[in-house]
Amino acid sequence: MLRLSPLSSMKSLPLPPQVQIDAGGPRFWKSLEEWSQSPDFLPYLHREFPEYASAWDNGMSRRRFLKLMAASFALAGLTSCSRQPQEKIVPYVRRPEEIIPGKPLYYATTFSHRGYGKGVLVRTEMGRPTKIEGNPDHPASLGATDVFMQASILGLYDPDRSQTIRQGNDISTRDAFTQFVGARIEAHEQDQGAGLFLLTGKTTSPTLADQLQRLHERFPKLSWCSYEPAAPVRAQSILGHDAEPVYDLSKADIIVSLDADFLLDGPANLVLTKAFSKKRRDPAADFNRLYVIESAPSITGAKADVRWRRKPSEVITFTQQLAAAIAQGVAGDSPEIRQLANDLQQHRGRGVIIAGDYQPEVVHALAFQLNQTLGNIGSTVTYQEAQQTPIPTTSLPDFVTALKRRAASTLLIAGANPIYDLSPAWGFSNAMARVTHSIHLGLYDDETGSRCHWHVPGSHYLEAWGDILAIDGTPSLLQPVIEPLYPDAVSLVEVISLLVDLPPKKGYEIVREFWQRSLAADVPAAWELSLNKGVVAGLSPQALSPTPVVSVRDAPPEDLPNSSDLEILFRPDTAVDDGRFANNAWLQELPRPLTKLTWDNVAMISLATAKSMGVTTGDVVRLEAAGQSVDAPVWIQPGHADGCVSVTLGYGRSQLGEVANGVGFNAGLLRSSVAAWSQALTRAQATGARLELASTQHHFSMEGRDLIQIETLADYKTDPSQAQENQPNPPPEENLYPPFAYKDYAWAMSIDLNTCVGCNACVVACQSENNIPVVGKDQVFKGREMHWIRIDRYFEGEPEDPAMHFQPVTCMQCEDAPCEVVCPVGATVHTSEGLNDMVYNRCVGTRYCSNNCPYKVRRFNFLEYSDATHPTLALQKNPDVTVRSRGVMEKCTYCVQRIESARIDAQKEMRPIRDGEIVTACQAACPADAIVFGNINDPASRVSRLKALPRNYGLLADLNTHPRTTYLAKVTNPPTAI
Amino acid sequence: MSDDAKIYGLLAEFAGPDELVRGAREVSKAGYRRVETYTPFAVEGISDALHFRPFAVAVIFLVAALLSASAGYFMQYYASVISYPENIGGRPLNSWPSFVPITFEMGVLGGVLGGVLGMLLLNRLPRYSHPVANVERFRAASSDAFFLCVESSDPRFELDRTKAALRHSGAIQVTEVPLES
Amino acid sequence: MDSTASETAPILPPDLTDDSITERITGIVVKRKMGYGWIGGFAIAFALLMMFNYAIAVLFTYGVGIWGIQVPVAWGFAIVNFVWWVGIGHAGTFISAVLYLCHQEWRTSINRFTESMTLFAVACAGLFPILHLGRPWLFFYLMPYPNTMELWPQFRSPLVWDVFAVTTYAIVSVIFYFVGLLPDLATLRDRSPHRWQRIIYGILALGWRGAGRQWSRYKMAYLIMAGLATPLVVSVHSIVSLDFAVGIVPGWHTTIMPFYFVAAALESGFAMGLILIIPVRHFYGLKDIITGRHLANMAKLLLATSLVVGHGYFTDTFMSWYSADPYDKFITADKFTGSYAFGGWMLMILDVGVVQLIWIRAVRQSPIALFFIAILANVGLWLDHFILVVQSLHSDYLPSEWRMFYGTKWDWMTLFGSFGLFLTLFFVFIRIFPMVAMSEMRGLVHKKPGETKEAGA
Repeated sequence: MLRLSPLSSMKSLPLPPQVQIDAGGPRFWKSLEEWSQSPDFLPYLHREFPEYASAWDNGMSRRRFLKLMAASFALAGLTSCSRQPQEKIVPYVRRPEEIIPGKPLYYATTFSHRGYGKGVLVRTEMGRPTKIEGNPDHPASLGATDVFMQASILGLYDPDRSQTIRQGNDISTRDAFTQFVGARIEAHEQDQGAGLFLLTGKTTSPTLADQLQRLHERFPKLSWCSYEPAAPVRAQSILGHDAEPVYDLSKADIIVSLDADFLLDGPANLVLTKAFSKKRRDPAADFNRLYVIESAPSITGAKADVRWRRKPSEVITFTQQLAAAIAQGVAGDSPEIRQLANDLQQHRGRGVIIAGDYQPEVVHALAFQLNQTLGNIGSTVTYQEAQQTPIPTTSLPDFVTALKRRAASTLLIAGANPIYDLSPAWGFSNAMARVTHSIHLGLYDDETGSRCHWHVPGSHYLEAWGDILAIDGTPSLLQPVIEPLYPDAVSLVEVISLLVDLPPKKGYEIVREFWQRSLAADVPAAWELSLNKGVVAGLSPQALSPTPVVSVRDAPPEDLPNSSDLEILFRPDTAVDDGRFANNAWLQELPRPLTKLTWDNVAMISLATAKSMGVTTGDVVRLEAAGQSVDAPVWIQPGHADGCVSVTLGYGRSQLGEVANGVGFNAGLLRSSVAAWSQALTRAQATGARLELASTQHHFSMEGRDLIQIETLADYKTDPSQAQENQPNPPPEENLYPPFAYKDYAWAMSIDLNTCVGCNACVVACQSENNIPVVGKDQVFKGREMHWIRIDRYFEGEPEDPAMHFQPVTCMQCEDAPCEVVCPVGATVHTSEGLNDMVYNRCVGTRYCSNNCPYKVRRFNFLEYSDATHPTLALQKNPDVTVRSRGVMEKCTYCVQRIESARIDAQKEMRPIRDGEIVTACQAACPADAIVFGNINDPASRVSRLKALPRNYGLLADLNTHPRTTYLAKVTNPPTAI
Repeated sequence: MSDDAKIYGLLAEFAGPDELVRGAREVSKAGYRRVETYTPFAVEGISDALHFRPFAVAVIFLVAALLSASAGYFMQYYASVISYPENIGGRPLNSWPSFVPITFEMGVLGGVLGGVLGMLLLNRLPRYSHPVANVERFRAASSDAFFLCVESSDPRFELDRTKAALRHSGAIQVTEVPLES
Repeated sequence: MDSTASETAPILPPDLTDDSITERITGIVVKRKMGYGWIGGFAIAFALLMMFNYAIAVLFTYGVGIWGIQVPVAWGFAIVNFVWWVGIGHAGTFISAVLYLCHQEWRTSINRFTESMTLFAVACAGLFPILHLGRPWLFFYLMPYPNTMELWPQFRSPLVWDVFAVTTYAIVSVIFYFVGLLPDLATLRDRSPHRWQRIIYGILALGWRGAGRQWSRYKMAYLIMAGLATPLVVSVHSIVSLDFAVGIVPGWHTTIMPFYFVAAALESGFAMGLILIIPVRHFYGLKDIITGRHLANMAKLLLATSLVVGHGYFTDTFMSWYSADPYDKFITADKFTGSYAFGGWMLMILDVGVVQLIWIRAVRQSPIALFFIAILANVGLWLDHFILVVQSLHSDYLPSEWRMFYGTKWDWMTLFGSFGLFLTLFFVFIRIFPMVAMSEMRGLVHKKPGETKEAGA
């Protein structure tokens, strides 16, 4: 049983084994601990004040955090005496044996999303995890992160997480639950588990697989269903294989995306983005070309050199025509097909066709066939056997019917939320109602949990032991970087252990024992190394089995809606995914890449469709499909395909938490099945109501200003320095005053608009690093979002089908900063290294600096935005960054705290700061390596070399502000024929 | 003349401003120096009649203005160059063009404060009371009466002769001003 | 119409004597009972003032976020009101000082009046820069005060210039006002029926006796002060205009600013002067002291300044075209065609267009007409500042950060609340101080009729 002893929150610290701590302190805490949660105490208390149950929880939790903190500081003091942790976990890098107060430690663990893992490094400050970075050693991260990884740290401290075990309406205890499970085991020993139902999300955890096998041996008749509301479609039924395509874009010169948002979505997004951007970094060298055929604009579409918008059914026909054109060489009459086919033919073996995860099987099959005929398989794409499930699974429909049939039964739901995911047509709640014993394990007591007899708080991945596979099959471990904030919290493996192990084991034992069996000879060393690196050492990705050719011709014909019909397509939301992150305020307030919309999901349509429907942005329409209907606000999106409505999942939560509840609408209700990604829309009509949508960018066009420099590859080759000619730096004589001399360091940044894919990772990373508050929908609506780095999105050309461009904008750290001159109190001044510093204590809030900032990167605390009411949130705060109060101006600091810590390290070693030693939060997160920070006084530094490129230009350089942040012009690579 | 000492002087009332000016001229022509007029408004020509030029006030204004203006500039120079030098938007520490407005304002402020203060002090203001106020009729001096007072401290002052001189110069009424009421 | 209404009426009624002036002016203050009109007016003003206090209380509790301001439009009503009120505060000193230097004797009937108007307007204006701060309790950071940290204001910032300009202007106006008041206080001292009044006015009068030497020093000081106040008036609004001109915001960054700000200030001042004088002279029966001629002269000044403002608009527009600066061009075009076009046109119609009616003699001679023209002109000038601040900011360099500004109810309450402060002070003033400079009037009375005649506008 997990018991939280405060010092054990320090288990994560590397401490010498030999020293023993005197247990006096801990015992005192422990006793208090046990007192506060002894089995008979809680129910008694609960009977006493039933309605204050929640209040009590908070009270408990709050006290627990205080204890945690107190303990951390206590330990910080007790550097002399330390002890051998019972569960030794290993820091990523070797640190001094004893912890240095204020010095962060990094631990490798794995963030799992939709069943696959992405390695992360967690920065802990005195035992508090405060920041997520990518793990360079992990094949699915390569050091980069996406928005979900970045924001997951906030999920850990979410005040709305469930905190106690609940039976019916009463708070219960771990022991009571264990006893209950024991009883159920006996019951199911009789029926061999026929009445035992297990519903989980997708998982690739080897340990769990092992457990499930043992579970299956014990209860051969149990039925297990694992589903994801946003699971990728694969061409299993056609190819005969559940083949998982693995793309190698570093070899691909022509990339064709069949509505695949591979840069943002999916378990391989970071890998693909890295490889993609690598071939865009240097226009002089090889440069790939991206064709995108898609319905709703995605960041992949925005990066496309050629983008064709097609509604879902047309994407299928397009693919079929393309396949025909390639196979029989019959170039259809459509110029697009001819163009594309011809381009692919010219690049045999150096092109790749990527079928979107949410495309029907036939598209995947055709993509496979195309790749094969073009000889791409083996070079740019390889197919590997997808993960096989350890035991036979039941499909969701069968599972539900089985539930309905079965009277006396036990249902365990973990990591799944069917009540929310499935439309009422499934009748899942009725089915559940008939279940005699339902158990819910999850971070939140959500829509499904509240309908279960038992709810057990799940432990966050940062609190739990476990393991998971990366998309390429590399296993990696999860190690807790903090004791569970709520002692009742358990992980799935621990719950399964209740069913299979006697006595039940703790997560650590379960995982360790499994790997003991499967690891190489020298277990302790290998184990340590695996924890240290974050990937299981010595285990290379599974061998890829070449897939036999299967004719696609006898593929079942897709029942395409006729072209006149309005179609609807579903996608996981770019910020809250399938709803699992809906209570994460950072993500809710994260401007979606192309709409710049926050705090809502919308029914996205094209301009023409809007005209035909007679609606405009903000009008609420009633969408009817699959016998269900939802009211959704319309959003007119340039570049959206005509004749279809696209909606995102994950909204319209009713029982998640403060943040999520009542935001947006549940598009999932319209899906005919959890695999349905597009279908005919029965009806869409305006209700006459309107909804105000909080977008952070209202203006689409650049008004002909040279803000984002764009040139085609051809032009670039003829005249590389076009960008600088359009946006020249004014000659020095235009300066009245002599320039300031920056002696030792001169910090600067270079942002490559060519590689930037606009994925938003930098925005969340910055928010998490710099304690940036969330302001809420109405404040965003007023125009008061606080992000220090924002990604400007511009459309160019026809409003119906424009080119789309991204431009990350941080503080430019101007050398002649307009903001400084007008500050009446000297609250923003220049440092000797060229940083434009904010002195929060001095700021009185005249906001003149913001007016005078041509880049409008300054953010003002119009009200008290930083949340002081939730003690948990305080734990996430970065101790090196001031939390700003009301009435104070703030902005990007180039992560000055990171500069300073690097300086301290350098000074201790009596050496100058090395190039690349300082990595800003945004730079660290960027999967495209578009952001580079460094010292321009050192001509050899990476940033200096980038600024020497002809593509380098300063934003609004004509204002003579001498920005330290400069951009590399965007180069597109359209085929000459078009 | 023992009883002269007991009075402050002789207060003569005139019909109007013009009469007063004429009277004042004659009195000063007769050689009286410690003469003062009291009028409800600034009567033109009085100062000539009394041979008085208020240069001091002007000088005070000038000096005060110049002093505080230079103080103003120095304050800014000291703050931005000596005491708290900072790189502000790449501007030089002593960016004098930016310092002009405050220098000017300080000049005006100092000038006015100094000048007005000087004017009051020279006018011996504020003052609690004055012997001429001991004459009941004098209260009208602030609305519609015009007075001329020859003080007993004047070397040529002789009660009867001066009375006669005043009457002769056109006073409609002459009263003795007691030192204390 | 009676003789006093015509603009050729003598600036003084022929039958006026020292005594009658004193009698009537001091009478209003020391004898007259509070009329119901006064009480009613005061009640309304005071109610507005209370609303002002409420709005400020809420502001200090929650922060400037209760207003409509955001990024990019980080300045809103507070700054607009500040600029507008400071502007109104200009006419008083202008009339007292500049017209004094020009020997415009007609000013004597109204200068006391407009001077007090100045003080109250500046009082209102002075509040807004503090209210508009994010952390108002730290306003003193803007002042140079000795502190162990050796922290100073940043003297390159126009906001610091503002602090000095407005403070100087306030102090000088008060002194100017008081010095002008001094002889009249003496009169009040000597004429008050009650002992307590005599004591109070006695203290205020500093023992002024009107001695010849006092008068000549007094005159000299007054003259020099007028000489100093004149450039001061010009400098104050010029410096306020630099808040904008120094910024690089397109639409702000132009050299015409000081010139047309001063003109706009005077226009709003004269307009406000008319708005106050016309009812007061009516209710307190001062038609013969503040005659139609005075009104007409004020009106002519209003007209003149409005023309200068119009010229300012023209030059501004022309320059943004001539400069060929794309950002400036855009913002100017946007002013007349963009989201704020209504305001852009309306302000010109009100503060330049409508005022042109004054060319017509009949309008000049009708107090009612002047009253309403003045009100419209002031509305126009408020709009002018609003457009300048908001419209320029709402779409500057990066289109990605363009946003519309919408005032909240708190914005409006603060604006109208400030009227409450202004009017309350004004109602108190007409009860306790003579609203006409008596001593100077007496001076005029004794001028030969001939002089007085050709003196005048």
